[in-house]
Amino acid sequence: MYGEPIKVTVQDGKPVRFFWRGRLHSVLAVLEHWVVSREWWQRNSPDTDTPPEREFWRVEARPGEEVPPAVYELRRDVGTGDWLLVRVWD
Amino acid sequence: MASWPGDFTHLHVASSYSMRYGTASPAALAERAGQAGMPALAVTDRDGLYGAVKHAQACVDAGIRPVIGVDLALRDSAGTGPGVGPSAGPARLANETAGRVTLLATSGRGGWGSLCHLVSAAHRSGPRGVPGVTPGLVAGHSGGLIVLLGPASDVGRAVAARRAGLAAAALARWRERAEVVVEVVDQHGPGGTAAAARLLRFARESGVPAVLTNAVRYLAAADQPVAQVLDAARQLTPLGQRHLTGHNAQAYLKSAGQMARVAARICGPGPGAARCGPGGCDDPAHELLAATAALAERCSLDPAADLGLGRLHLPEVPGGDEFAQLRRRCQEGMHRRGLSGPGAQPWRHREAARRLARELGVIATKGLASYFLTVADVAALIRDRGIRCAIRGSGAGCLVNYLIGISDIDPIDHDLIMERFLAESRTTMPDIDLDVESARRIEAYRAIIERYGEERCGCVSMMETYRARSAIRDTAAAFGLPPHEIDAIAKAFGHIRARGIRAALADLPELRASNLAMPQLTSLFRVAERLDGLPRHIAMHPCGVVLSGGTLLDRVPVERSAEGLPLCQYDMDDVEAAGMIKLDVLGVRMQSAMTYALTEIERTRGEQVDIDAIKRDDKPTFEMIRSGHTLGCFQIESPGQRELVVRLEPRGLGDLIVDISLFRPGPVNSDMITPYLDIKHRRRPACYPHEDLADALRETGGVVIFHEQVLRIIHVMTDCGLSEAERLRRKLSDASARPAIKERFGAAARRRGYDGTTVQRVWEVLEAFGGFGFCKAHAAAFAIPTYQSAWLKRHYPAAFYAGVLVHDPGMYPKRVITGDARLSGVPVLPVDVNASAADWRVEPVARRLDDGADRPAASSFPLSPARARRGGGRGAERRRVHRIGPVEGLRTGLREVRGISDAEAERIVTRRPYESLRDFWERARISRPVTERLVLVGAFDSVYARSPARSAGPARSPSPTRRDLLARVGVLAGPAARAGAGGRAGASRRAGRERGTTQHVHSMLPFGDVGGDGDGLAGLVPAGELPELTAAERVEAELEILGIDISQHVIGFYGEILHALGVVRAGDLHRCRSGASVLVAGVKTSTQTPAVRSGQRIIFATLDDTTGQMNLAFFESVQPRCAARVFGSWLLLVRGRVRRPGRFRPRPGQPGRPGQPGQQDRAVSVNASECWDLAVLEEIRLARGMGAVRAAMAAGDVPGPGLTAAEPGGKAQPAKQAQPGGDSAGKVVYPTGFTLSPYAETGSAGGSMKDPPRKLWHASPGSSGGWAAPARRPGA
Repeated sequence: MYGEPIKVTVQDGKPVRFFWRGRLHSVLAVLEHWVVSREWWQRNSPDTDTPPEREFWRVEARPGEEVPPAVYELRRDVGTGDWLLVRVWD
Repeated sequence: MASWPGDFTHLHVASSYSMRYGTASPAALAERAGQAGMPALAVTDRDGLYGAVKHAQACVDAGIRPVIGVDLALRDSAGTGPGVGPSAGPARLANETAGRVTLLATSGRGGWGSLCHLVSAAHRSGPRGVPGVTPGLVAGHSGGLIVLLGPASDVGRAVAARRAGLAAAALARWRERAEVVVEVVDQHGPGGTAAAARLLRFARESGVPAVLTNAVRYLAAADQPVAQVLDAARQLTPLGQRHLTGHNAQAYLKSAGQMARVAARICGPGPGAARCGPGGCDDPAHELLAATAALAERCSLDPAADLGLGRLHLPEVPGGDEFAQLRRRCQEGMHRRGLSGPGAQPWRHREAARRLARELGVIATKGLASYFLTVADVAALIRDRGIRCAIRGSGAGCLVNYLIGISDIDPIDHDLIMERFLAESRTTMPDIDLDVESARRIEAYRAIIERYGEERCGCVSMMETYRARSAIRDTAAAFGLPPHEIDAIAKAFGHIRARGIRAALADLPELRASNLAMPQLTSLFRVAERLDGLPRHIAMHPCGVVLSGGTLLDRVPVERSAEGLPLCQYDMDDVEAAGMIKLDVLGVRMQSAMTYALTEIERTRGEQVDIDAIKRDDKPTFEMIRSGHTLGCFQIESPGQRELVVRLEPRGLGDLIVDISLFRPGPVNSDMITPYLDIKHRRRPACYPHEDLADALRETGGVVIFHEQVLRIIHVMTDCGLSEAERLRRKLSDASARPAIKERFGAAARRRGYDGTTVQRVWEVLEAFGGFGFCKAHAAAFAIPTYQSAWLKRHYPAAFYAGVLVHDPGMYPKRVITGDARLSGVPVLPVDVNASAADWRVEPVARRLDDGADRPAASSFPLSPARARRGGGRGAERRRVHRIGPVEGLRTGLREVRGISDAEAERIVTRRPYESLRDFWERARISRPVTERLVLVGAFDSVYARSPARSAGPARSPSPTRRDLLARVGVLAGPAARAGAGGRAGASRRAGRERGTTQHVHSMLPFGDVGGDGDGLAGLVPAGELPELTAAERVEAELEILGIDISQHVIGFYGEILHALGVVRAGDLHRCRSGASVLVAGVKTSTQTPAVRSGQRIIFATLDDTTGQMNLAFFESVQPRCAARVFGSWLLLVRGRVRRPGRFRPRPGQPGRPGQPGQQDRAVSVNASECWDLAVLEEIRLARGMGAVRAAMAAGDVPGPGLTAAEPGGKAQPAKQAQPGGDSAGKVVYPTGFTLSPYAETGSAGGSMKDPPRKLWHASPGSSGGWAAPARRPGA
């Protein structure tokens, strides 16, 4: 899975804005949100008995009023809190 | 939406009784739900109601109400879908992908009964273990049931696939037949919310109520890895397969608040979210949650009213007034047993009448008359079929049981009391246990079920749960390890709990020495530990039968056992909670072994021995028991027991009862044995805590051994009555209850006038031994078969050994039994195609004394060779006695041959005699590998033996060797024979059929019978062409094929090295002085790690070296260097010190009891300090000589088979110092200071002791498969 680290602003537990390629994207709508566990058995001896989870957000967003919205898939690692932009459909 | 103000009840929850699916016990789930303030909780296990009773009880404990349902797979209505097939294996996997529905029982409308019937029907409708339903099947039992159609149902799947028509049709099918509710689930997976919203919308549009569940399968998110491993185990696929990925950890028991958020997510704004219908509603999420709560209310059950828990459901007895019937039967019994009427002794009559009145009083109060009548009927039913049946357990103390024929033990004779079995103070049902012949146990069950019918009667089930080995196997498979590695890792662990895997790795020397503690395996072990105790699959309880009134099927779901018997989905505890009789009908191999022995006696001698009528004071039998030659006998064959009987010197049944009671961890380790023996042998006077207790304790000289004595002590001291005393006794083992009991006991005793010192002294006795004592009635019941088996061994040894070898009742491998037979003068005869039956048989033999040293002279029971050599004295006398009459030998049964089928064994027997190998090949039609094995173990030797008649023929060639015969098998089965259109009628049936020919192979094979020995093959493989097997090769073949060294003892091949090292033989060990350092060697025949006083884990091992058995003890201090070898090697050389416990020395001036001189000598064992693998040392000797052997022994690092393959050439890891106290897994400490190692009684690591290792001569090249070419063998 390909991804680029990004910075995301969260309100009420939902992403509302994120920076990508130097541009601020505003989230217009959350299309889908789901959670997947990481494949804990592939890690060598994870320290926790709870497998780390990843949150996925598929959102409609655009980097400005003039740009037509596109669909972005963001991923958050629940353990570290880091965000990744996983894919873009435009 | 506004936050949901109400409760939430989980209506779809899999507990751990959803096998290999759920991870949380019903108790844990109910407790969590109670803490979270939920009003109720459902358990809807997959495929059955296995956890239903436990769930109901857990809910009561947690103060919530139980909802009970079941989650069942859907079968195609056409009956052709997954799960319908002839075999269960593939069907079970197909069921993994089948749709599923959940069915909930509603309260008060017969819902529970419908659920039980439906589950039974679901199991009946498919292959065993693959239950499933169709809408039609549900229709037949839908009264009071609700069908939950969730995302996994046919409806849910059609909606998810956006096939509206299909979904509507499926829904209609269900609605016509049952009350239907749609179940919406959103576990927050990819696309989950949208799918849930779509299903909810479908429900609204179809006008079906919808509820929200979380399809729970674990308690907390952290349990998800366990669930994933279970998924992998169930689906036989490694983790990370595509269909297992994408899971998250959301299927846990979420709080009401969390579930309200889920509802909001499904119903809230967003694409695909549901909106209120035209009927209107304020908040769709509220409506969903309210509907859920309403359904939960309807389905909350009352454990008493709905499930019928807490009431008795005893079978009806025809004839009415059960109590009057029972009283009449007891009075008849008084006459029959000679306790009333003209011949009865007055005191016995008085005592019996008094006891009977008391017992009947209790039975009347408790309403148990029909219970006794039913059990009596069952016992009679079993005996009428000619199946041996004996009572076991505390029931033997009950006079009623004796009078109505359940028991054959007179409780008055043995001074047994009823209260240990049945008392007003006991709240549980009394347990009557019946022992039957193991081989006919299922037959006994069928008889009971036939009599009572399946509507009243079934077998009790039990859950096989994950333990260390099984947890490691399933987890390692999920991790994708190769099978042979999985096997090696799993076998390295003994039978310990899964949760102790890592602790065992740290604690046990043999595991420390393995390299299993590697980091790559840590996460595997960590997950494996979490499988601890989870149910894996259902099995038939080894002895439980449930009996109830005619409404069993309304209260108990039933499936089929592997034997086709009705199997209740309840375990022993559930059955009792449900108020039904559970009767233990236990299969006892010794009973079968004795029956076999009796039939052999009748077959060979025409004598009918009534083993139940023999006198129970036979002197020769007790003489044999006292000598410790009790190998094979019931209860007294273990090394420890043999040592104990020698010290205890039993002279009657009473002594055997004491012996059986003493040989328990408690008495052994609380050191009750030595004081008892000192008093028994009058080395010390009897001593009573108070003279009033003399009556109660006289039979054991003041030492408390029996529960019955504890009861009497309490009664004498407090005058509380035996029933109350029994209640107190049961509480004694509970440390927290003890102070209160002490208080009561002390106060009552002082009121009776006992002074403080006495009270304190008696209390100390009670506290120390109250929890350890043994039920005398149970010991008395066991003493009977113990005596009977010893009697048979003493008087009919060959028949006895045959029975033991066929039914294998004991702890030893068969080769130890045959070794014991040889020592007792019973020759062991090889497999013979013309003489062997399928099973072991007694066979009269002409005496042969040319067998060499390995077959010592016959004696009535074995003497040590040393004594036999000395001759004269008692030994010679016994030998002379025994030589009267024909000698009986033991003929090895065909079934001992590895790989032979019952059908093959039967064909060999029915089609003999055979004149030649070819004759056998053509007529018996046995597979080639089995034929080859028969050749190798000499089963054809007699066919070619030179008898006068045979050798009289003109041109007999020499007898073919086994190698010749093996080559001939190759020819007979070879391509030439097959190409010739029918090498034999059987092997080439196909070819024969195709060509329509049954031409005889003689004419077809391309060679003739030159100088023949009957095979017509001598031209190709002349007799003597190939060399005969050496003696060592014969034994190796016997061990590999039969597991028994028949022609001679395997240790015989190590004579040279043992002689060079000065090894002491078992038979001479008693002549070594105590404390002497010795080397001993032999075949390992047992390892045990029993509970011992210090809390140490001591490994007890037994070695066998033709002259007898040697007992070895490995203490913790030597285990770091010895344990792996002890468990991993088969042939051991051991250095240690001789130990003699409790040697009897009469005090000067006081004549000793007339004991058998020399008998005490047998109680000798060796405290081991070092051990080596004998086979490895022998290899060193053969390669480099004795000097190298001594050097290797001194170096202490002789490589050898460990538990797992050590790194090649690498030294074993230096053993870690034992941790202080070594108790990382927690020792159990008893009030007497008796500490139990957590690894006591955990069985041994490594393979089964009963089979010799496949590779016997370690690393000897070509030792298997090399038969055709002679290879050098050690000692050959």
